[in-house]
Amino acid sequence: MRKTNLMKLLFALMLSVLLVLAACSKDSSSDPKGNDTKTEGNAGKDKEKDKGEILFSQDDFEMTTSNSGEPIGGTLNFGLVSDSVFEGTLNWNFYDGDPDSQVIKWFDESLLDMDANFTYTQDGAATFKTEPYETEEYPNGVTIEFTIRDNVNWHDGEPVKAEDWAYSFEVIGHPEYTGVRYGPDFSDIVGMDEYHAGKADTISGIEIVDEKTLKVTYKQSNPSLLTGGIWPYAMPKHIFKDIPVAKMAESDAVRKNPIGMGPYKVESIVAGESVVYSKNADYWRGEPALDKVVLKVVNPKTVVQELETGGVDMINAFPGDQFVDNADMSNVEFLANIDLYYAYIGFKLGTWDAEKKRVKMDPNAKMADVNLRKAMAHAVDTDSIGKKFYNGLRWKATTLIPPSHPEYHDADNPGLVYDPELAKKILDDAGYKDVDGDGFREDPNGEQLVINYAGQSGSDVAEPMAKYFIQAWENVGLKVQLLDGRLHEFNTFYDRVGQSGEDDPAVDVYGGGWGVGSDVNPYGLYGPDQMFNFPRYESEKNSELLAKGVSMEAFDVEYRKQVYKEWQQLMTEEVPVFPTLYALELVPVNKRVVNYTLDRNVNSLYEVGVTQEEPFKAEKKKK
Amino acid sequence: MVENSATAAVKTKEMIKTPSGFNIIWRELMRDKLALISLICLIGIAAFVYGVSLVLDQEEIVRVDLFAIYQSPGEDFILGTDYGGRDVFGQLIIGTKNSLSIAIIVTLMTGFIGVVFGLVAGYFGGHIDNMLMRILDFFNILPFTMIVIAFVAIVPTYSVLTFSIIMAAFLWMGIARLIRSKALQEKELDYIQAARTLGTSNFKIIFKHLLPNCSSLIIVTMTLNLAANIGLESGLSFLGFGFPEDTPSLGTLLSYARNPQTLEYRWWIWVPASVLILILMLCINNVGQALKRATDARQRRG
Amino acid sequence: MWKFSLRRILIMIPQLFALSLLIFILAKMMPGDALSGKIDPNIDPARIEELREEMGWNDPWHEQYARWVGGVVKGDFGQSFRFKMPVTEIIGQRIVNSFWLSLVTLILTYLIAIPLGITSGRFNDTLRDHLITGYSYIGFATPLFIFALVMLWVFGFQLQWFPTSGSVAPGLEPGTFDYVASKLYHLLLPAFSMALIQTYSTIQYLRNEIVDTKQRDFIITARAKGASETRVYNNHILRNSLLPIAAFFGYEITLLIGGSIFVENIFGYPGMGQLLVESITLRDYSVVTATTLLFGVASVLGALLSDIILSIIDPRIRIK
Repeated sequence: MRKTNLMKLLFALMLSVLLVLAACSKDSSSDPKGNDTKTEGNAGKDKEKDKGEILFSQDDFEMTTSNSGEPIGGTLNFGLVSDSVFEGTLNWNFYDGDPDSQVIKWFDESLLDMDANFTYTQDGAATFKTEPYETEEYPNGVTIEFTIRDNVNWHDGEPVKAEDWAYSFEVIGHPEYTGVRYGPDFSDIVGMDEYHAGKADTISGIEIVDEKTLKVTYKQSNPSLLTGGIWPYAMPKHIFKDIPVAKMAESDAVRKNPIGMGPYKVESIVAGESVVYSKNADYWRGEPALDKVVLKVVNPKTVVQELETGGVDMINAFPGDQFVDNADMSNVEFLANIDLYYAYIGFKLGTWDAEKKRVKMDPNAKMADVNLRKAMAHAVDTDSIGKKFYNGLRWKATTLIPPSHPEYHDADNPGLVYDPELAKKILDDAGYKDVDGDGFREDPNGEQLVINYAGQSGSDVAEPMAKYFIQAWENVGLKVQLLDGRLHEFNTFYDRVGQSGEDDPAVDVYGGGWGVGSDVNPYGLYGPDQMFNFPRYESEKNSELLAKGVSMEAFDVEYRKQVYKEWQQLMTEEVPVFPTLYALELVPVNKRVVNYTLDRNVNSLYEVGVTQEEPFKAEKKKK
Repeated sequence: MVENSATAAVKTKEMIKTPSGFNIIWRELMRDKLALISLICLIGIAAFVYGVSLVLDQEEIVRVDLFAIYQSPGEDFILGTDYGGRDVFGQLIIGTKNSLSIAIIVTLMTGFIGVVFGLVAGYFGGHIDNMLMRILDFFNILPFTMIVIAFVAIVPTYSVLTFSIIMAAFLWMGIARLIRSKALQEKELDYIQAARTLGTSNFKIIFKHLLPNCSSLIIVTMTLNLAANIGLESGLSFLGFGFPEDTPSLGTLLSYARNPQTLEYRWWIWVPASVLILILMLCINNVGQALKRATDARQRRG
Repeated sequence: MWKFSLRRILIMIPQLFALSLLIFILAKMMPGDALSGKIDPNIDPARIEELREEMGWNDPWHEQYARWVGGVVKGDFGQSFRFKMPVTEIIGQRIVNSFWLSLVTLILTYLIAIPLGITSGRFNDTLRDHLITGYSYIGFATPLFIFALVMLWVFGFQLQWFPTSGSVAPGLEPGTFDYVASKLYHLLLPAFSMALIQTYSTIQYLRNEIVDTKQRDFIITARAKGASETRVYNNHILRNSLLPIAAFFGYEITLLIGGSIFVENIFGYPGMGQLLVESITLRDYSVVTATTLLFGVASVLGALLSDIILSIIDPRIRIK
């Protein structure tokens, strides 16, 4: 009896060991990865090259696949990285999540192309010319005349007509429209307000000249119009015309058998999971290089294995935190481009006045002193954060216009550099001194100063990073604590920061991030009457510069650059927020794939091909 | 069956003093070497983590160190570091302490609610039982995950105690059901009927007669529950609703494995926590099973 | 019997009503709504406010609740904001997947647990028993999500025996044999992952039940009469011990719902559990309330089923 008891224990232990072994038989291979990549020695800890010291930068990556070979048709497997399903609202006019846009882009596209600076060009499916529109009501209006190319057709063979484009405007502007796309881009069209309010049956500013020509008149001409301010997507009127606007988003024409004008046609959809596309031989730019594309949702937890086994050839975005361990994956090439994104730390300077619909700055706010804000910016070592937490895949940000907009990003502006001594000095000079000797500074009136920091949970590094910020501020003598002692999940976080205008007064400082649009104009985030102006900041100079940036003069790119340069400098001086990190987007592509590029101004999706039937598989990692 | 009702105290914790029950349990435990080893192991681990965590500086352990991210086990860190450069070994100790505390608090609270609920329902029967059982049914149909996630989002401070309370509020039904059916059986027995005829107050009967006779069942169930409650928070951590990281727990360490790179290459972060959970659960379970055997003559070993 | 079932179903109605109210209040107490995720400079905040107003999300919760109940009575569970389609349709898509996953898991669980439980009980306190008990304890102690991840890694990626995500291979015609086969193939691995470590209660219950029955008088009598050991087991012990397992069937449903959340997440299998968690995070409340209610109904019906089976096989607990 006793023997068997012991046996039982032994067995239990054995099994657990087995389980553990099964789970980590690869552990032993955790030698430093990416020996061929740049490494940066660290004086103190040179004995071990651990992963924290492998650094990458944009220079390590190409934007376009470097594989050569002739495309042979075949099937490309595309992984949509998401831990949930795609919603299946497969129409540009109705979708609102990124997963859906990844599905749509294979079968439908914009009528207007953009160049590297996100300005519309004449190379797309439609060309345009502008003429001034001057009436008493709108002295600075503009009419844009679009001409759709003759060979641009829907997948069912119908030509893409002016009325299809006009129809998009009519649907989005319709009082019963259920999507989120309606906004200033639409209400700036002459007659749109009346139409949206249900007072007019047509939009007076939109005119269908002939089958392929459309004229749209905007109330106010400004440079933003040509950098993403025009709705460039048509919708097939002959399919949608009998569906009530309120029911369109749930109709089969959106969910089950959508059509578009892009290089591939939707063949079949498994709701939320996968889509099979076939070649649209009639595509206006030329015949697509693949016979088929299969798109499937891939969980970020398994994306590496899918890539290694050739289950997918490429994906929309690679989870950055998994890169370092997989930088040497032998069957793919990693491409990268600068993301349209910056992370930042914001200071609450006031509240939102719901009546007047504008920000209300509070001169008595805890963070109202610019010196305090500056010192806090100087206190954090964003360079190290980028290197240590992101292996250089994110790096120190300097200004509020990221380098993804190369023309407008002011590379000469160093931003607020890491200098804790300077931070201490600024605080000393501004009267923030430790009066009671507890190791923390008091405010100039000698009152206790405790700053509440709100951070967002979600990513693995969120918590250590928040901790790091707080420690950095502690190092210059400021007492900062996590709001409620924890990070907040997305919804709670933005609720308290003020996405609905009800700012939580307990929040003093917060860590956020913005994806920036193609248009460089930052008004939507920093304009005094913008809800998303979370710091609730306004100043005369700011308003003036933001207005100048979209003025008639700003059609001159040099002038506009100068304005935004000044604005970036102003933000560095007034510090309503300070940027912390810029990011790279990473896309691994199987080595059989040719002609794929992350370059945003090239519309070459149809040229993407594969050079052999079977994807390359990763070699077993060396022990 | 334990058939003694001499001098049991009111509190569940002291029920163990019922002499003969206690003796049988003790004898069986001493006889069952595996259970004994498990018990010693358990006490050892508990004493170790509670003892050491008194000495350890929690602030220091959860402090982020940018220059020590993902270090493998070595001289500096016995069990390496996590992505925040924090010592895994220290987190393991405090984590075990927290996870044990959660398991104990939750078990005691669910035990208390469940026992009182079950005894009252079982003893009075009839309409009271009916009503109470409907309440219990209601709790049973509550979608646990959804409710807990909602509460986690709502409570202002998220700590070991609040977490335990939330958990306990939705986990007491099993034990209540068990105790109720036991009480239903017991109350038909002569000694209860006799006490009733003598005019003893209901309160007294429940706590002086009924409770002691359910004590062995309670102890066994609670011990087994304790095993199930270890690592209770790991599932929530996996879904992203775990503790803030300055409250290390075994579940948090375990849930780091959801990062596939950690699962594959950095075993030192999650494997020790898994093994520890496994050991703790097995130990408690072994003790629980021995207790169960002790209280059930038919399953008793020679 | 019928009276009993009917009464139970009647009692269920106020319970579900209370459940919906609780869920609704909780949902409204949680910060944010389906539109708070739309923090994107390309979307106009004014439009978001306009939509909130249109959807009636700015109304007091009791008005919203009344509206919702009004709809439910007519079979209308509202519109999912996230999917932009009726909730019933979304759930319709998912519930099929969840149903099959649960069914296969249940079958596998019983296929593994029943033989093991019988062996363990019949040869109690032998090496076999200890091995089986050890296995079930370890299953009990292993967190499902870690186990599922490891299974996926080993059988999905290293050995590539099973597909690694989704519920069906892309491009197959629904209704064809290939389609059904592909569906089954896709749910085998997730079902195995769940079944393998959730055998604890069944094995242990069966084992103890058999050990108990073995010592009952009628078995001893049967033995004394010279019945062969196999006969004793097949005719007497198993019949007595297996039936209660059938009764657990209903309760298993609740267990499966809990487990499916993890498994669906890891295997990218679009079922109800995943839908619920996503809808909570994205605050798609109409889906949350409907899904929760459905889970509530499922567990109530499960419990009812168990009680009915129990009362059939065990007259002692027959309901008055």
